[in-house]
Formats: sequence, structure tokens, C-alpha cells
Amino acid sequence: MKGIYYVVILYIFLMLPPVANLMESVMIIHMHMQMTLFAAIGFLLAPGMIRKFPRFFEEWNPNGIPGLLLFVLVIVYWTLPRSMDEALNLWYIELFKFISLPFLAGVPLRDSWKKLKSSWKNGLIIFFTLLFIVMGWLYIWSPNQLCNNYLLIDQITLGWGFLLTAVCMIIYLAYSYITDLAENI
Amino acid sequence: MMVNKNKTLLSYFVIAVFGLVLLYLGTDGFTAYTSEKARVNQLKEETPMFPEVTLEDHAGRVYPFSEFEGKYVFITFFYSMCGTVCPELEKNMAEVYEMLPEDVVEEGIQFLSISFDPERDTPEVLDTYREWLGSDGETWRMARIPDQKELDELLDRFGVIVIPDEYGNFAHNSAFYLVDPDGRLVEVMDYQETREAAATVMEIMEEGEEK
Repeated sequence: MKGIYYVVILYIFLMLPPVANLMESVMIIHMHMQMTLFAAIGFLLAPGMIRKFPRFFEEWNPNGIPGLLLFVLVIVYWTLPRSMDEALNLWYIELFKFISLPFLAGVPLRDSWKKLKSSWKNGLIIFFTLLFIVMGWLYIWSPNQLCNNYLLIDQITLGWGFLLTAVCMIIYLAYSYITDLAENI
Repeated sequence: MMVNKNKTLLSYFVIAVFGLVLLYLGTDGFTAYTSEKARVNQLKEETPMFPEVTLEDHAGRVYPFSEFEGKYVFITFFYSMCGTVCPELEKNMAEVYEMLPEDVVEEGIQFLSISFDPERDTPEVLDTYREWLGSDGETWRMARIPDQKELDELLDRFGVIVIPDEYGNFAHNSAFYLVDPDGRLVEVMDYQETREAAATVMEIMEEGEEK
């Protein structure tokens, strides 16, 4: 269980002001790398927490759907252009980012994932594919600057990042659909 | 198992409430999804005073902002090297200018374009810009604020965010600002809706006269 220490070290490292500031200075790294890493940290910390409080997860998230719902809501909040700006301008929103992404997104997702039926899992991926296409479209073709802290070019880069991620998810969905089909023949 | 079911229902409920509260707070009650919108809403609530600054206009005249006391002032922030938004912003400002009745423009309201690039926007440069826009130089003036401290104070108070990029350009938010005769910011308008802006200005001025 040494692994958990590396995760905690990574978590603390990412929260160090110089590291956080550096990552936040580029819009696409802020959203698609820093935020993703924080959620991933929660994902990695989850097994330990589930072992420590098995009853809690069993009772409150028996079928995985409450956890899924929490994950979706928290991620939707963080895709709002406003949230990104405020994380830069207000210290308590920044703190909320550091806490909410691992513990209210990463942990519940890990716990829910193994409990969910595959239809829910695919539903989640389809939901995020659609959301990312919409966000990509919004960031690329918005005539306005959506974030006051970033340049328009950063915004367009982020938009393409969203679209690319959506494309990857479509490829995954197609892949799993085809392999499922092949297995059933 | 009964207890378990209730707990599951409760957890749906708690999470749904948490999510709604989070999104509600994060968007000021579903009204502001970008911080620009939130900024405008906040400015309209706060109605900050225009700080005491010294302007230097396109003709090289130097005077304090209080020169315009007793008049409404229609303001935009720009810089002349800007190739993207500013020309559109200033052209739209010209449209609003054209839409207002002549006597209003001559007596009741001052048009003022303030440059946030005082280093490059010297009076000569501003005068060229003025000519390009076809402004008369009196009822619509171009000005810079030579004192960087005063300029920053104004930008900060009016929520104008200016980020220099590596090519000597600036990223900035744009809007029409209306300051009342007492020097208070009373309205921030969408610079792309010129007709609406002109109507709003007339409305506010008429209301002001009635008082």
C-alpha cells in the first residue's frame, strides 16, 4: 500500500501555489490537465477510503447511481466558464476545486463504476461526449471572450481540446460496441 | 433492506439539492454563466463613482474628468493598435452617436473613448483615430490617461480587464458604459446591440430629467 503515499504526495504537489499557478496559466492545462489530475487523485484514493468506510459507501451508494449523479454535477459545475475564472480570482473557489474534484468526483466515480450496469456506464460516456461537443462548439465559435482571465486564443485551444476528447470517447464507444457485437456472434 | 432503500432515496435527494445549490450559487441563480455577465450585474448594483483622473485628449488638451460634470458621459475603453474588437466597438459607438437626437448630443451627453494604452496612444495617434471615426472632436473625444496609477484605478473600478499578450496586443472585455451627471456609473450595455443601447441611453436621460 505504498502507492497511496505517492498519490498523497502528488496531491500536495499539485496544490503548491507555484505548481497550481503554472498549470492555471494555460487555459487548456487548467481544465483538461489540472482538473483531470485532481479527479484522478480521488479515483486513486478511493479504494483505501472504501476499505476504511465500507458501510458508508454500501449504504449511501448501493447501486452506484447516487455517486454517478454527484460526479456529473460536480464536473458540470467545473465546465462552466465562470467557475474557471472564479477559481483564479477567489481563494475559496480554488480551495473548493482542490477538494471537490478528488472527493466529490473522483472517489464517487470509482465507487460507482464497479456497481453500475454497463448501460449506465455507456450512458455516462455518451452524456460526456455530447457535453464536450457542446462545450467545444461553445469555446471555439463563441463570438465573445468567455473567460476574463484568458486570451481568446486560449479559449479556442480549449474548445479543440474538448472536441478531441469527444472524438476519443466516440472511438471508445464504437470500439466497445463492435467488440461486444463480435463476442455475441 | 427497507432502511437501505430510504437511505438511497435520501442520498439522491441530498446530492440533487447539493448540485442545485452549487450550480445556483455558481451562476448567481442561473443568471450569469460567465464572469463577464456576473461583472456587469455587479457593476449595475454597485454603481461605482468615476475616479478623479486627468485626461489628455486627441487635441492635447489636459483636464480632469470633472470637466464633464452635469452631463451624461458615454464611455468605451479601447486602444488604437487593436485590430479585432476595438474597431467594431468604436464603429458601434459611432452608430449610437448617430442614433441620438442632435440636441441631446450637443447638450446632454458627452461621448468619450478612453485608451488604456497611453504609451502608444499619444494625442497625435488619437487624433488620427478620431478622424477615421469621423468624430467632431468636441461632443465625442478620444483621450488617454497618462498616469498609469489613475488608469489602473479606473479600469479596476469599472471592471475592465486588460491582459497584455506577447505580441503587444491586449485582450480585454468590451462594453458601453454610461456615467451620470454626478459621475456615477449607471449602466453597462452590450456593445453589439447599438439600437438597444441608444434606446437605453434615451430612457435613462429622460428619467433623469423628470427627477
